[in-house]
Amino acid sequence: MTSRRQMLKSALLGGGAGVVAATALGSLGPEAAFATARAPEVEPGTVDPNFAEGRIRSIKDNTLLVLGSNMVFHNIRVVDGTSLWKLGPVPFDQAKPGDGLYARGVRMPDGVLAAESVWLNIVNIKGHIKNITSDKIHLDHNGQEVLCHVVSGKSVAVHSESPPTADLSMLRVSQHVQILGAWRPDTNEVDIATVFSPH
Amino acid sequence: MVRRQPTDPPPIDLYASVQGEVSWFCCGTAWGPCSTTGKGACGTCNSGSLQHAWPNTSDACLAITHPDTCGVSLSRRTCGFQHKITALCSGTSVVTAIADCGPQTDLFCGEKSCCGATCASNRLIDLTPAAYSKIASLSAGLRPCEISTP
Amino acid sequence: MQGIAALQPYVIALFLVWAALMKLFSRRMRAQAGRTALARLVGSARAIPTLRLVGVVELAVAAALLLPPATPEEGAAAAVLSAGFLAYLAYAYAAAPTSSCGCLGAHSHPVDVRAFARAGLLCAAGVAAVWAGPYPLDPPLVTLGLVEVVALLGLSAELDRFWLSPLRQLLVRLRQPLAVRSPAEIPLEVSLHLLYLSPAYCSASAQLTSDVQDVWDEDGLRFVVYGARERTAVFSIPLAGADPSAVRVALT
Repeated sequence: MTSRRQMLKSALLGGGAGVVAATALGSLGPEAAFATARAPEVEPGTVDPNFAEGRIRSIKDNTLLVLGSNMVFHNIRVVDGTSLWKLGPVPFDQAKPGDGLYARGVRMPDGVLAAESVWLNIVNIKGHIKNITSDKIHLDHNGQEVLCHVVSGKSVAVHSESPPTADLSMLRVSQHVQILGAWRPDTNEVDIATVFSPH
Repeated sequence: MVRRQPTDPPPIDLYASVQGEVSWFCCGTAWGPCSTTGKGACGTCNSGSLQHAWPNTSDACLAITHPDTCGVSLSRRTCGFQHKITALCSGTSVVTAIADCGPQTDLFCGEKSCCGATCASNRLIDLTPAAYSKIASLSAGLRPCEISTP
Repeated sequence: MQGIAALQPYVIALFLVWAALMKLFSRRMRAQAGRTALARLVGSARAIPTLRLVGVVELAVAAALLLPPATPEEGAAAAVLSAGFLAYLAYAYAAAPTSSCGCLGAHSHPVDVRAFARAGLLCAAGVAAVWAGPYPLDPPLVTLGLVEVVALLGLSAELDRFWLSPLRQLLVRLRQPLAVRSPAEIPLEVSLHLLYLSPAYCSASAQLTSDVQDVWDEDGLRFVVYGARERTAVFSIPLAGADPSAVRVALT
C-alpha cells in the first residue's frame, strides 16, 4: 500500500468519527474565506468558466488540451488532488486522446482550468430497453440504438431507494430506464455504471 | 346563490420551495450520444452553461412530462426563468435558467433518493453537467434536492 | 404468375386501409404529427391537413383496388403511391433521422431498414398488381397471400410491442442473460450508496470539492478518498452490512 494510503488510513483509524468534528472543519480564517470566495458568481443561463466540456485532443505532461463543442479550446491541468472518473476512479494515465470530457475546477488568471474533478466519457442517458442479450442492454435513446454493456464488478441496478445490486436480471424489455455509464469513443456503445429503474 | 366550483389545487412550487430528485442531461451538439441532441426546446441549451430542464414550460411539454401522474402540480415557467437548486445533503446550491423541457417525471413516479435521513421523491428537474457538477458529482446520477426561486 | 398478380391488390389494400384509418381517426397520431418528418417537410401547421389528405388518397386507391373491375391503372396508382412513400422515407432518413416516420402508427418510430423493406415490398406488389386480372383465389394462393401479409406485418415496427417485445421478454426470462455469475466483487456504487445515507457523509459533504480520488479495500472496510478544498476527506465504509452509522470520516 502506498504511503499516502497508509497516512490516510491511520488518520481515519486514529482520528476518524461518525461525523466530522466541528474543530476539524476549520475556522473561517483568511485562507478559508479566500477558498470559498475564489469563484465569483456566474450569471445563470450563461457558460460557466469553471467548467469545461469537449473531447481530449492531446495530453502533455499533466495538461489536457480539450476542444469544446463550441469550438473553444481548454487547457485543463490535473494535479494530485484532482479526481479522475472513467467508469470509476482511475489514475491519470487512463486519460486518452479522443475521450469525451467534463471537468470542474477553478479558472486561473492565465486561462488554464485547474481541475478538481474530471469525468471521462460519462453519459447519463434515458430510454426504453429494446432487447436484452448476453451481458448487453439494447437501449432506444431518442430513436438511436445504444448498446450498453454490463461490466462485471462495476455495473449495478438501482430500483428507487433499494440498495444497488449487481444483479440486473430484474430489468424488463420495454421498460424505461436511465443509464449512467462510460461512452466508448466513436461508437454507439456504453459501459454501464448504474441503471436507474423506476420499479 | 351561486355555488362555487372546486378549483384545481395550486402548483406546489407557487408559494414555497419543493423537494424532489435532480438528475442531469447533456445538450448542444456535443460528444457521444449527445451529438444528435440539439439545443433543447428553447434553442439555447448547452452542457457547459448553468441551465436546466423544467417539466412545465408549455402545454406540449406538459403532455410529455405529465407530473400530474405522480400527483405533482408545478407552475408554468418559460425559457430563461431562473430556479435555485439546493442539494439536500451539502446545502450547496446553484441558480440556473430554463433551457429545455424535461425530465419525464411520469416515467419515474414514486422513485426516491436519499442523502442521510432526508429523502425526496419524483424527478422534478434536470440540470446541465455544468450546473449539476456545482452541487453534486456527475457520477452520482440522481440526488435529492430543493427547488426554489432565487 | 397471374394468380400472384391477382393477389396483390388485396394485400396492398389491407395496408392502405390501415394506414388511412390511422391517419384519419387516430387522435394520438394527430397529436404527434408536429414531431414527425412530415412536419419538417411541409411545416408543422400543415402536417395534420397533409396527413388527412394522404389518408383520403390511400382510402381512394384501396377502394379502387378492392372493387371490380381490376384495371392496370389501379396497380400503377398503388405503385406510384408506394414509390412516393419510399421517397418520403428517404427524405425522413436523411433530413430528420431521429424523428418519427408518422406512417402507420401513433407511437414514435424512426425510419430504419425495416421501414424501407416494407415500403419496397409494397411498391413491388403495386407493380405486380398492374397485371392483376380476374382469377380464382384457391387455397395455395390464399396461403401465399397470408404469408405476404404476415411478412409485411413483421416488418412493421408499429406492431413490435404486440409480439416482438413480449417474445424478447420471454427469451430473456428463459436465458437470464444478465444473471450475476460470480458475485465476488462488491461494486463501488454499492458502497457509495451506503455512504450517501451516512451521517458522516452528511456532515462532510459541504467540504467536498472533488469526486472519488482513490478507493481501496482492507480488513473488511472500503476506504474512499475525496478532495476537500486544500485538505483530504477519507471515509471508511463497511463492506458487509448496511448500517450507515458505521461509516466513519476524517478530514486531514
